[in-house]
Amino acid sequence: MISSDVIRGYNDTMILYLLLNEPSYGYEISKRIRELTDEKYIMKETTLYSAFKRMESNGFIEAFSGSETNGKPRTYYKITDAGRSYYKEKCEEWEITREVIEKFIVKENFHEYN
Amino acid sequence: MNTIRNYLDNMFLGLPQTEEVTKAKMELLAMMEDKYNELKDSGKTENEAIGIVISEFGNLDELGETLGIKHALENKSDIPMITYEDARKYIEITKEATPKISLGILLCIISPVVLLLLLGLSELNMVRVKEEALIAIGLVALIASVAAGVSYIIRFSGKLEKYDYLKYDLFETDYKTEQMVRGILEEDEPIYRSAVSTSVILYILSALPVIVIPLVFETEGLSVLSVVITLFIVAFSTYNLISKSAVNGTCNILLQQGDYSLKRKSNKISRIVSSVYWCVIVAAYLGYSFTTYNWAMSWIIWPVAGILYGAISAIVDER
Repeated sequence: MISSDVIRGYNDTMILYLLLNEPSYGYEISKRIRELTDEKYIMKETTLYSAFKRMESNGFIEAFSGSETNGKPRTYYKITDAGRSYYKEKCEEWEITREVIEKFIVKENFHEYN
Repeated sequence: MNTIRNYLDNMFLGLPQTEEVTKAKMELLAMMEDKYNELKDSGKTENEAIGIVISEFGNLDELGETLGIKHALENKSDIPMITYEDARKYIEITKEATPKISLGILLCIISPVVLLLLLGLSELNMVRVKEEALIAIGLVALIASVAAGVSYIIRFSGKLEKYDYLKYDLFETDYKTEQMVRGILEEDEPIYRSAVSTSVILYILSALPVIVIPLVFETEGLSVLSVVITLFIVAFSTYNLISKSAVNGTCNILLQQGDYSLKRKSNKISRIVSSVYWCVIVAAYLGYSFTTYNWAMSWIIWPVAGILYGAISAIVDER
């Protein structure tokens, strides 16, 4: 499982991506992250919750009570406009990050096959 | 499912119960429950599902800053950890020491028996020795019995003393330890329940000999002997109650529930009130009795104080 500083900086990005089209709740988000990454990345519950709280106070997402499950109202999160523009920023930042880092990455098999 | 709830309770142990913290706990629980249910539906066993949920929970330190409890989390490391070994040892010592302590109490309760027996028999003219001699023998037996009893109590409660802080201070246990203690508590439940009910019935019945025997026979000697029977019944039911409820008590201490719940532990007032209260009562009892020599009446303070204590602690606990 990955746990580098780089991926930690992009937890918010992953969560915002999953909220782009529709609101969602804690477990669904963590499940979709797991599925989308072929189980290479599993976001811990505490990581997810602290990301929710941080983004909520930054105004990137909003919490609201959704439909009841097992008698308890579930907390849903939806993305705000500020959240969308932050997401766009992070995508651009990632593009640059990737370009920069890739200059320094030796691809093991590169020389063998080319 | 309870396991997950307990795990979470443990993680949040000793943290301030602010609105944010309570909300965080609820939402984390919801996420864990969702995950648990889905794992169960996908064919995982109970234990596998719990294992995965707990291993993927993460670390509460991550929430420190967002919940404004960073300081509390850092202080949390001051809370002592009770390991599996500690807990097992505590229960073992309880099992070993409490029957001995109960025996000590039993010896104290029955200490006047020889004295009473001799006086009763002499009253019935069944022993023909001077009364002074009988009293001397009886007193020697009484003192010997009390001495043996007290030495037993002191020796074996000393073994349990080092665990006393668990009754008053917060501590943490891990999941495995808690499961072990819960298992023992469950196993012990029937023994505990039957001991309590047996003893309660015996306590009630213990009054019968002193009431009935003097009513039926009007001989003085027999009423003295009836006290002996009563003492034996009281001694046995006390022994039975204390020795068989000890494991239950220790398990509750280790699980920090019932009388040892976190709420009660954090209520410092109730501890102070209770220790001051009983000191005052003892002082009042001794002061009044020694100045007036009205020992025949002054004992009434005990049942009254006991009932009053219940009322006071109910009020204090509400705070």
